[in-house]
Amino acid sequence: MAKTIPESGYKAIFNNISAAILLIDTDAPYYTILDVNEAYLKATNSNRETLVGKSVFGAFPANPSDEEAKNIEMTIFSFEQAITNKTPHTMSDYRYDIPVRGTDQFEERYWTTTNTPVLDAYGKVAYFIHSPANVTELIKLREKEIASVEALKNHRQHLYSTFMQAPVGIAIFRGADYVVDLINPSLCTIYSKTPEEMMGRSVFDVLPHTKGQGFDKLLHQVRLTGMPFKGQGYPASLMRNGELQTVYFDFVYEPFREVDGTISGVIAVATEVTEQITAKQLIEDAEERTRLAVDAVGLGTYDLNLETGEMITTKIFANIFGFDEPVPRADYVSVFHADDRGLRDLAHKEAAVSGKLFYEARVIWPDRSIHWARVEGKTYYDANKKPVRILGTLLDITEQKQAKEDQQKLMALLADSEQLLRNITTAAPTGLWMSDETGDITYVNQTWMDWTGLGYEENLARGWTNAIVPEDRRKVRDKFLSDLTGRTLYEAEFRINHVDGSMHWCVATGSPQYRNDGTFTGYIGACVDITEQKNLQQQKDDFIGIASHELKTPVTSIKAYTQVLERMLLKKGEAREAGMINKMDGQLNRLTSLIGDLLDVTKINSGKLQFNDRDFDFNDLVKELIEDLQRTTDKHVLVENLVPTGIVHGDKERIGQVITNLITNAIKYSPQADKIIIHTSVKNNEVSLCVQDFGIGIAPDKLEKVFEQFYRVSGDMQHTFPGLGLGLYISSEIIKREGGRIWVSSKHGEGSTFCFALPLKK
Amino acid sequence: MNETKTIMVVDDDPAILDAVCIMLEFEGYRVYCTPNGAEVLSMQGHLPDLLLLDIWMSGLDGRDICKQLKQNVSTRKLPVVLISASRDIEGSALAAGADDFLAKPFEIDDLLSKIEKNLAA
Repeated sequence: MAKTIPESGYKAIFNNISAAILLIDTDAPYYTILDVNEAYLKATNSNRETLVGKSVFGAFPANPSDEEAKNIEMTIFSFEQAITNKTPHTMSDYRYDIPVRGTDQFEERYWTTTNTPVLDAYGKVAYFIHSPANVTELIKLREKEIASVEALKNHRQHLYSTFMQAPVGIAIFRGADYVVDLINPSLCTIYSKTPEEMMGRSVFDVLPHTKGQGFDKLLHQVRLTGMPFKGQGYPASLMRNGELQTVYFDFVYEPFREVDGTISGVIAVATEVTEQITAKQLIEDAEERTRLAVDAVGLGTYDLNLETGEMITTKIFANIFGFDEPVPRADYVSVFHADDRGLRDLAHKEAAVSGKLFYEARVIWPDRSIHWARVEGKTYYDANKKPVRILGTLLDITEQKQAKEDQQKLMALLADSEQLLRNITTAAPTGLWMSDETGDITYVNQTWMDWTGLGYEENLARGWTNAIVPEDRRKVRDKFLSDLTGRTLYEAEFRINHVDGSMHWCVATGSPQYRNDGTFTGYIGACVDITEQKNLQQQKDDFIGIASHELKTPVTSIKAYTQVLERMLLKKGEAREAGMINKMDGQLNRLTSLIGDLLDVTKINSGKLQFNDRDFDFNDLVKELIEDLQRTTDKHVLVENLVPTGIVHGDKERIGQVITNLITNAIKYSPQADKIIIHTSVKNNEVSLCVQDFGIGIAPDKLEKVFEQFYRVSGDMQHTFPGLGLGLYISSEIIKREGGRIWVSSKHGEGSTFCFALPLKK
Repeated sequence: MNETKTIMVVDDDPAILDAVCIMLEFEGYRVYCTPNGAEVLSMQGHLPDLLLLDIWMSGLDGRDICKQLKQNVSTRKLPVVLISASRDIEGSALAAGADDFLAKPFEIDDLLSKIEKNLAA
């Protein structure tokens, strides 16, 4: 059986219970305190004497933390509720600070108090139990909890905002399908999609073209292994403005872990670096192009670290030094030509100061061949102005050097030969000249200036003609201009006023000059002083003239005597003697003819052959001469084959001399034949005469020469035909001077036909 | 030839002068021969019927003499035949007023025909 607690025992319970209890009367508005237990006294730092029998509101002053005394109102309300409703009423969590004993300070306290009515036997409320519980700890705890939740909320808000506004693209892809769980606007911009289009859908469904670019594999890898992946400058093809474009990303894939550590997706963080990559590529392209350009011109390049002495070189650099591949700097230095090392050291010293490196030096290749290299560079300095680096180029200039040397040699040779030429032109006893294509003189040598006394400038253009005596000037100028027009060889004889005060004879010659492309550039010519020759020629001509004259004088008297004697003998009837004298006269005629030829040649050569041109009947002259000549030969018959010819204007004597020459030659050179045919004909306003013989003929190679001075039949029969070899020369000169032509046709051994043609008088 | 004609021959070469004079005398002319050209210009009274005059004489030129004769009224009609060893001067001889010209050495027939021709003229 259960133990029963005595009535007095409940008092003990009341006083020992840990809950604070105040028993209060219903005597509103006093609400007298009827009793108080120990726990209450302890909790409120009060004693029994100050409480029991007092009004509850008198015992406890107004709450110092409750300036508006809301607690009192609330307490009264709670008391009234409990009394009226006869059910407990609870006031929760209100603050009521309690004084700290021995001080005037208060301690913050929160309370939850229940007012429980106790009914009497009549069912009326006898008193009520006022039991406050100290909930300060609880309240404090709750406040802390609320504050931390608030802080968490703020933090989360901040994170979200950061996430959403982040300039990098961020997304969370969930599951094996990589459904977009979260995506920020930056990534949406990169994808050219709106968040609505992306959210809740598999990223590969929204961006089907990204499948197969390797991103799916990377995502799988991160999700399955939990190892993050970092990509830099990763290319991706994305739709931009309706077309697929290659863009570049730096990105990180991180596994997304659940609270329990399982991986449910991937967090992707991505930045587009297309511009940077493109810029980098542009720079790389530019560098590549530069490198190619440098290679293409055979430039070697180097990068010399002056602090470590380390040098990076290109293959071409190595090649120029005779190495197949780049070698350490010391190896390069070792192949410099000993004579050029000082120069190189000096250049490096200067480069440290001036910032520019430049020198040309020889390097010796493994095959001992010597090559020229041109080194150029720019010095770079550190913050302390200390040179730390040289960057530059290297060029093989062997060929240039060689060419330069060759050129210098050539120049030296040219200078030598120019000097030689100058000396020659100055020393030459010949005037030298040059003209341009218009005939203006552009050069004369010292010799010419010495002769004429005209200065260099005075001779230029047409100035030189002032040296010519006035009578010859026009003739010379016309001749030069006519040769210039025809671009033919120029030749003229003229007299100049020499500085010695006398007149000098000159013969000038010039050859037309052409460039390689055939354009005419003018003349180069010479001028020889022929005064001496002219004088000698004159003396010779004078001598021959006088000699011929002197020879003719005795011949004339002998011939006169001979003819008188012949006549006297004939008169006496001494025919035989007369005949002999007649033959003597014939020989005198031959002598006369020889003297005449000599004189004629002299005159032809000096241009003094005189012509007395007048009209005469050509056929009459021919008949007359044939008649005379027939008398000189018994062996040959001179056959006339003439047509009417009409009048010729010319020197009858001279033309007769030609006909006589041709017929006498025909007689002379056809000793075995018995006839000679003389033809005349008229054609194209020309009269021509041909003398045909049937004699020895002329060899084809000699045909051209028969009209030359002193030509004689050569060979076996040389001595069988007498003569000076002047007749045909004189004849051809006469015919030419009379404006006609002379020619010959012949067959060796069968005879010759000599012809000439003269213009008929119009 | 009903009247003997007088021919004056001037040549500074004595052999030619001699030979020509012999020849002309042989042919029946009256001949006056002189090697001195100056004599021609100092002729007084009777003139010859024809003058045979050499051109190149020492110190004198037959063409000059001829010119003077032809410029002088009293001698203007005297036929003059100039003779020269140089055939080239025929033109200048005729220009000097000579009636005819003969080149040395000459055929006697040519000389006689020229004399006859000019005497007849």
